[in-house]
Amino acid sequence: MQKVKRSIVEELKSFLAFFLFGVGFLQFSLVLAGCGPHEKVARIAVALPLTGDIAGLGQGINRACALALEEANSQHRFNGYRVEIAAFDDRSDPREAVDVANRIVSDPSVVAVIGHFNSGCSIPASRVYAQAHLPMISPAASNPKLTLQQLDPSWTYPKSIFRVNTTDDVQGPYAAEFAVKTLHARRACIIDDKTTYGEGVATEFKKRFEALGGVTLSFDGVAVADKDFNALLTRLRELHPQVIYWGGDYAGGGLIVRQTRGVGEKAPILLSEANYDPEFLKVAGSAAEGCYVTFLGSPPELLPSAKAFMTAYQARYPDVEVKAYDHYGYEAMNILLDLVQKVGPDREKILAALPSVDYKGVLGETRFDAKGDTLNHTITLFQVKDGKFAPIK
Amino acid sequence: MILQQLVNGLTLGSLYALIALGYTMVYGVLLMINFAHSEIFMTGAFVSLFVYSKLSSVVPPVQAFLLGVVAAFLVSAALAMVLERLAYRPLRRASRLTPLISAIGVSIFLQNAAFLFISDQSLAYPQLFAIHHFQLGGVEINSLQCLILAVALILMVGLHLFVNRTRLGTAIRATAQDASTASLMGIPVNGIIALTFFLGGALGGVAGALNGIYYGSIKYNMGFVPGIKAFTAAVLGGIGNIAGAMWGGLILGVLESLAAGLIPNGSEWKDVIAFSILILILLFRPEGLFGRHVPDKV
Repeated sequence: MQKVKRSIVEELKSFLAFFLFGVGFLQFSLVLAGCGPHEKVARIAVALPLTGDIAGLGQGINRACALALEEANSQHRFNGYRVEIAAFDDRSDPREAVDVANRIVSDPSVVAVIGHFNSGCSIPASRVYAQAHLPMISPAASNPKLTLQQLDPSWTYPKSIFRVNTTDDVQGPYAAEFAVKTLHARRACIIDDKTTYGEGVATEFKKRFEALGGVTLSFDGVAVADKDFNALLTRLRELHPQVIYWGGDYAGGGLIVRQTRGVGEKAPILLSEANYDPEFLKVAGSAAEGCYVTFLGSPPELLPSAKAFMTAYQARYPDVEVKAYDHYGYEAMNILLDLVQKVGPDREKILAALPSVDYKGVLGETRFDAKGDTLNHTITLFQVKDGKFAPIK
Repeated sequence: MILQQLVNGLTLGSLYALIALGYTMVYGVLLMINFAHSEIFMTGAFVSLFVYSKLSSVVPPVQAFLLGVVAAFLVSAALAMVLERLAYRPLRRASRLTPLISAIGVSIFLQNAAFLFISDQSLAYPQLFAIHHFQLGGVEINSLQCLILAVALILMVGLHLFVNRTRLGTAIRATAQDASTASLMGIPVNGIIALTFFLGGALGGVAGALNGIYYGSIKYNMGFVPGIKAFTAAVLGGIGNIAGAMWGGLILGVLESLAAGLIPNGSEWKDVIAFSILILILLFRPEGLFGRHVPDKV
């Protein structure tokens, strides 16, 4: 009996000691925290695919954003608060993107968000941001619906969605004009990857191609997880197309191009901008030769205004190459940092200032139209020559 | 054009068939679905790419690729045996669901190991040798399709002969029929089960290598879709039946190709069409096309 009693007493003692230690530690850490300056933190969320199929592109933009912030911090541009980046991974998955968006808006220190990459992620996530009056700038999403939804009468939120890249209703028609006027194609087969982006850009191509007198022989969607498109391509070959258009990213584009040449179809192939990536050339191999790829705006290596950015990027990240959308991330970050500095780290104030932004940076001049899209409508056209993308306009 | 689509379908189907054999043989001896088989397929693709890219500067690319296929054969076979020894044999006397859960665990483990330690991106599988196109009575076939069909055919005929004509093959069939009686007859059942995993793994590995060179890119999760399709093929043919898995794979591949190739916009509907036919067949022949209805074992 005695023994049991003692052990309970001992237990109580140790519990008390533990409890006291805990309280003491808490106070100690509070004191420690109190020692530092009471600095306010403003976060800019970066929501991109950091893992998954196109993680390389997301990570590149994330690096470019970090670079822009480091440069701003080294110039001590912010007084009384600190600006931080909070990176989130949407894995190119629309459902994940909405989860991420909810996490972002629930953090009151977040004043703006850069993202998302995919149109399919950006559109559902943008509603969450709009509800929370959180400004959003996309560095890559190109489906017109993303910003267009804000002009709908049923849109009850403030105008909060902007983007620094141009859109598929510019890119698709550009490719169609090229197909009709330069390639003299009248008969097209169109394939897309059934994503918001791929189907969107393919539809824009189709509209202009038909308006210019072209005939759409077929319009097919494929699931990229399948990998085998031989059956479809064999059928398309029987239709004798004069041009083939692919709307989708390089994961499918590389396979489509490779298998198109594999079944013996020799018609020129036009691809949307998400195929402007070294990975496309690797997967397609020698079949890529002669294919045309449109790119939104100009890639950083062709922009005279991006020279300083390229140098700084390579000095900061010597082991990686600059990716195709990195300068868009850099520009979006710089626009936001500029606004934060001018109007302060506040969601509403940034929202109010965004429509009248006139920023001169790596992309040249960025101003937004009534939808929130950039007024810079440049498209660059590439042709694959000797295993490389060569600009032809 | 139907003939052309048949060629596409047979190429795709022979890859399904090679994978399906691994599912059906393991099911035959253990009555268990080896869900990690799709990762053995993935491992074969990565191993062959490694050997192929290392050797292609030393020997001609075609030989380098064939050596890569041999490496995939051996490494995948060894991996399948290791998995059997570590993850399935200790659970042999457990309830039938337990090894199934273990197999799912192994599958997740292998996929994530490849994701973390090899690459989270798709890797290009370079085509370093020229592809020739042949015309055969209006049908165009390329040398890669010939290679895949030939390798698959050789392996399937070889397996058929091995299982039906050799003493070891007889032992496999005896174990599949009744493991305890087989062991009473002096057959080392554990060794035979390991051999079954060896054969299934080897074929899966080769299928991975062929899949890599045919489609030009490989990825840590590349096994999932072909794994599901091959499992379907095995069920279609009658799971546990070796000839059934071969035919099941070919039929599924041809059905998919015909659906995508003959129906406008069929590429969006090909899985719906292929699986609807599967459901219809199973409604009328629940034991599969080639399966026999076996009364429950006592």
